[in-house]
Amino acid sequence: MITAHALTKRFGTTTAVDGVDFTVEPGRVTGFLGPNGAGKSTTMRMILGLDRPTSGSVTVNGHRYAASPAPLREVGALLEAHAIHPGRSARDHLRWMAASNGIPTTRVGEVLDLVGLDGVAGRRAGRFSLGMGQRLGIAAALLGDPPVVILDEPVNGLDPEGIRWVRSLARKLADEGRTVFISSHLMSEMALMADHLIVVGRGRVLADSSMEEFIAGHATSFVRVRAPRQSEVASLLAGRGLDVTAVATTSGEELHVTGAGADAAGVGDLVGAHGLVLHELTLVRSSLEDAFMTLTADSVEYHAHLDAPEGVPA
Amino acid sequence: MSTALAPDTTSRTTAPDRTPGFGAVLRAEWLKLASVRSTWWTVAAMVVLGAGLTVLMCWGNADWLASDDADESPGSFITWGMMIAQVTAIVLGALVVTTEYGTGMIRTSLAAVPKRGRVLAAKAVTLAGLLFVTGTATALLGYWGGNHFLDREGIGLPLEGDVLRAMYGSGLYMAGLGLLALGAGFLLRHTAAVISIVIALVFVVGTMVILVPGDLGLWLERLMPGNAGGVLAAPVPFNPDLLGAWPSFAVFASEVAAVLLAAWWVLRRRDA
Repeated sequence: MITAHALTKRFGTTTAVDGVDFTVEPGRVTGFLGPNGAGKSTTMRMILGLDRPTSGSVTVNGHRYAASPAPLREVGALLEAHAIHPGRSARDHLRWMAASNGIPTTRVGEVLDLVGLDGVAGRRAGRFSLGMGQRLGIAAALLGDPPVVILDEPVNGLDPEGIRWVRSLARKLADEGRTVFISSHLMSEMALMADHLIVVGRGRVLADSSMEEFIAGHATSFVRVRAPRQSEVASLLAGRGLDVTAVATTSGEELHVTGAGADAAGVGDLVGAHGLVLHELTLVRSSLEDAFMTLTADSVEYHAHLDAPEGVPA
Repeated sequence: MSTALAPDTTSRTTAPDRTPGFGAVLRAEWLKLASVRSTWWTVAAMVVLGAGLTVLMCWGNADWLASDDADESPGSFITWGMMIAQVTAIVLGALVVTTEYGTGMIRTSLAAVPKRGRVLAAKAVTLAGLLFVTGTATALLGYWGGNHFLDREGIGLPLEGDVLRAMYGSGLYMAGLGLLALGAGFLLRHTAAVISIVIALVFVVGTMVILVPGDLGLWLERLMPGNAGGVLAAPVPFNPDLLGAWPSFAVFASEVAAVLLAAWWVLRRRDA
């Protein structure tokens, strides 16, 4: 269990984390989602006592991380790939970590096996690919068999097989009752991995809910309708309690129909029963990615200024 | 690199319940130090430079030192190589800290051992131990090789008194220099900056202060870390103006302690 209370971090005049409150519960995978610069890594560093909060507090299992006598046996963390001396072998890297926290050396072989690096354990880490470095970081996180696992962008640099492996690993760790806290800037990845979602932008919590609630609340759908006698269709649908919005597009005006019972079949039946003709009837689902983009649109730190279409693409 | 999709995450070995203490951190830092090649390269360089140059200088100067023209003592030559070998102690002391900052591994280290003072202390103890042993062994090796040529000219030095003191004195000086660079490493965090600043302080500034006139210049000369520390490492120092061996080393040791204290203060306060 990780608990942040009014957690704040300022660097000079920049506020990286701005009065954040959240709880990461055991037994489920909690996704920590936000665009680059949203304060995810800073928050994770504060959990591990690496950065000192400007104000507020964050505790792991009820106490400050630094107060733990053997922190690696309580919290395992992957902070960044290649935070490893390039001249040291994978095995030696894990050996010193094990020694520092009184973890038996036999555990080193176990975690190397677990992440699939047993064959290259003696090779210097500087020769590792990004994916192998990531696996070594995950091995290091699991070294102390910790009840709390924190992974910062764990799928970065992994191939599809590796990504699937991280997903099943996260699931297994959560099923074992551990607290699993995973950051990502990819909604699509979180949708497949997380049970619970904490969305941050510009250092603030924008959403904190279960994945189902987030999908229900944010992944909207609507029915797109085009008809030759558009205004008649619009008033007909509005008369049945549906929300109808006329939207001008490059290919003429269309109607976006939302509300209870706004599915393609219902709209089609209703319009047909009144003898009206439809040219288009489509159920449009906005993806979770779109929902995330909408939610964080105002809080993206670095906007790319391209002539890209704004807002939610249909 | 294929891995099972349902990996066995739990430890098959049970961790002991005892709380790891400073000994565990010490063991971890020793494993770190011993498991990178740069450590053994710098140690080898110290032995080759320190012992090799001493032997070379004694071989080249033995007949002059034995002649009536000599205005230097053989005791100044018997640890001559250590003056050059001190560079390797500085390099190793810097690398022990700055490679961790350069690679981001310092975060792994401080997450593993959140009591940061322990990380600094364990690094200091293991580095100083390695440098003391290597420095003393290097001085002895240089003594045996160099004294062979001095003996041939009848000016050989017995391994006793100030000569013996210069042997472990070399070890102590190397350890102190390493600690100076280690402290500077925590303060500055960049390999190139630490190595160039400490080398400049020891070699260049230490010599430049001679240009300062009067008593001020004399005392600056005596108190500069390279000058003060080096006295212990030579049976007879080249520079007669310096303080005695142990008072000089006390000056050097307190300078090293001050830098380590500053490093500890900064390490505890700064974000990693």
